[in-house]
Amino acid sequence: MDALNNLVGGFAHVLGGGAVFHALWATLIGIIIGALPGLTATMGVALLTTLTFGMGPDKAMLVLVCVYVGAIYGGSRSAILLNIPGTPASAASTLDGFPLARQGLAGRAMGISTSGSWLGTLFGTAMLALFAPSFGEFALQFGSYEMFWVALFGIVIAGSLSGGDPLKGYIAGFIGLFVATVGQETNHAYARFSFGDGDLAGGLGLLPVLVGVFGVAEVLSAMRGPAVKAVSSKIDSVIPRIRDVTAYWKTILRSGALGTFIGAMPGLGEDIAAWTSYAAAKRASAEREKFGKGSIEGLMAAETGESACVPGAIIPVLTLAVPGSAPAAVLMAAMMIHGLNPGPMLAITAPEFIYQIVAMLVIADMVKMFYGLVLVRPLLWVLLIPRERLMPVVFVLCTVGAFAITSRLFDIWVMLGAGLVGFVLRELRFPMAPLILGIVLGELLDKNLLRGLVLSGGDITPFFTRPISMGLCALTLFAAAWSIPGAANLFRWRRKVAG
Amino acid sequence: MSEADAPSPFAGEKAPASPRADLVTAAVLFALGVAIVIQAWQMPRFVEQSGTGLTAPGIVPGFYGVVIALLSVVLGMRAAARGGWAVRGNSRSAASDRRQLATAALLGLLYAGVMVGRLPFWLASALFVFAFTAVFEWEQGPQGRVRRVVEAALIGLGTGLAVMLVFEKLFLLRLP
Repeated sequence: MDALNNLVGGFAHVLGGGAVFHALWATLIGIIIGALPGLTATMGVALLTTLTFGMGPDKAMLVLVCVYVGAIYGGSRSAILLNIPGTPASAASTLDGFPLARQGLAGRAMGISTSGSWLGTLFGTAMLALFAPSFGEFALQFGSYEMFWVALFGIVIAGSLSGGDPLKGYIAGFIGLFVATVGQETNHAYARFSFGDGDLAGGLGLLPVLVGVFGVAEVLSAMRGPAVKAVSSKIDSVIPRIRDVTAYWKTILRSGALGTFIGAMPGLGEDIAAWTSYAAAKRASAEREKFGKGSIEGLMAAETGESACVPGAIIPVLTLAVPGSAPAAVLMAAMMIHGLNPGPMLAITAPEFIYQIVAMLVIADMVKMFYGLVLVRPLLWVLLIPRERLMPVVFVLCTVGAFAITSRLFDIWVMLGAGLVGFVLRELRFPMAPLILGIVLGELLDKNLLRGLVLSGGDITPFFTRPISMGLCALTLFAAAWSIPGAANLFRWRRKVAG
Repeated sequence: MSEADAPSPFAGEKAPASPRADLVTAAVLFALGVAIVIQAWQMPRFVEQSGTGLTAPGIVPGFYGVVIALLSVVLGMRAAARGGWAVRGNSRSAASDRRQLATAALLGLLYAGVMVGRLPFWLASALFVFAFTAVFEWEQGPQGRVRRVVEAALIGLGTGLAVMLVFEKLFLLRLP
């Protein structure tokens, strides 16, 4: 009953003071950002964080949640119409979305995308409302030792699973952790790696680094190589068909559950959620041969999975202060900027905030559905904007975003440096999610390791002997071992022998 | 099939980096890891304040440095096993790609590193957007070039003014 009251209270709180207006414009911007190839949800949330500095925390979070939800959905537009995923999350949607469009069913494909995405976010939001409060209360038992393992587990799991090459994932994660150590540390206020420079002593701002890695690096990537040829397509009706939903309800539930679960795993994100949901749907489908040739079930699975991942990725943000995806990492940074304190203490300091986030997600989902039905042709025009005209504007917005938080020109240089490093690492096939997770989790890991050592008087055994610590340590080691070539096969072989 | 031509052990939609590129990367990362360790070692330990020295500022970054150096060794060994010493990695990018990338990077550097802070922000932004658009659209041929340049100027001016109005006047943010 308390939960229901809190939920009603959450909606009442969020819906006041022009919330619908903010939700409308923010979701629209999110969809446009997601639809434009080269602009990602992470970049969108990072850039829009700048705009929210002057807002109250609740309005700011509503705007950013709407951008996040909108951008993940918007990526499917270009995936269906251009065969180019607007965001990495929509890559799986190209497999069946574009073939459907080529068959003259672009409108139906967009209807499937809209209904799948809407249901996915709704499913994930229900899971968030159900599990985040109780998980948050459980997380109150976590001390410094446990939080250290949570942070390390985040890096390891993101490194293992977020790209093709776990080794490069780990390296990217540890580079991120190193970046987070630049500047004054908390115990002795010693400025690490500052070389006597006052700006470096203040540390590398999270937002300038994120804007650099996801904004500047993407501008450089987009300007390299031939321009994308926009293809116009005849659009049939985009109204979702009830039959498309009822016929694949099992797929929707499975993809929703998978998407939410993958979202809740640190650093994995929407693209992996979409691919996993797609693969699971293909395995279970009676129409397997249609996958890749315009399967409605395949598109539904990918869209539901990626959209369910959004609320899933917010669950660990609220309960552990560990982001489930790259855009959620930026969202978490924005929460901190706005004085909200995500993590285990949230269950005590502001338990109602979890339900406010639930309300925000539901509002964003409804607005997304609305735009999905009415905004088809204008979005087609947006897709036709040439990159030569779009990218310099994005670069200008990146510069504003990097500067605005502390008004230091130094942050613009940080953005440029991070952009260059991010671009080079991307070219060398280093995944970006572990890098970002490392930067975001760096302080958590650093602070809790040293605090734990101080509390135990230098004894490291509590890191391994406390019950939850032990479990988290085992999980971390297992995740690391799993990525060693041969270890996973060995495990499977043993299971086979035992079976 | 030579070792270098062998398919990559990693799945994924993008082709992996060449063994040569991985080898060079490993060397750079190893140097970075060692440099971090050296810097961390030279940091004060604050033993008198903490009693144990376990709160020394260098412990955590030193650990990261060691891990980066070790992982870079593994990366280097793997690249060497894939033929990184013998094979020069084929450059995936064409000359035109590299030129476009260099142009974008140079214009971005000129704007964010030189013009911003020295010129009014709206003017710097307008000039940057105009130059960027005009330069990249120049190659589309002489037909309609004048119209494209005029459009680029209008887009630049519009961006500069819109950014100033939206961020400074509407959202009350300080611009560079």
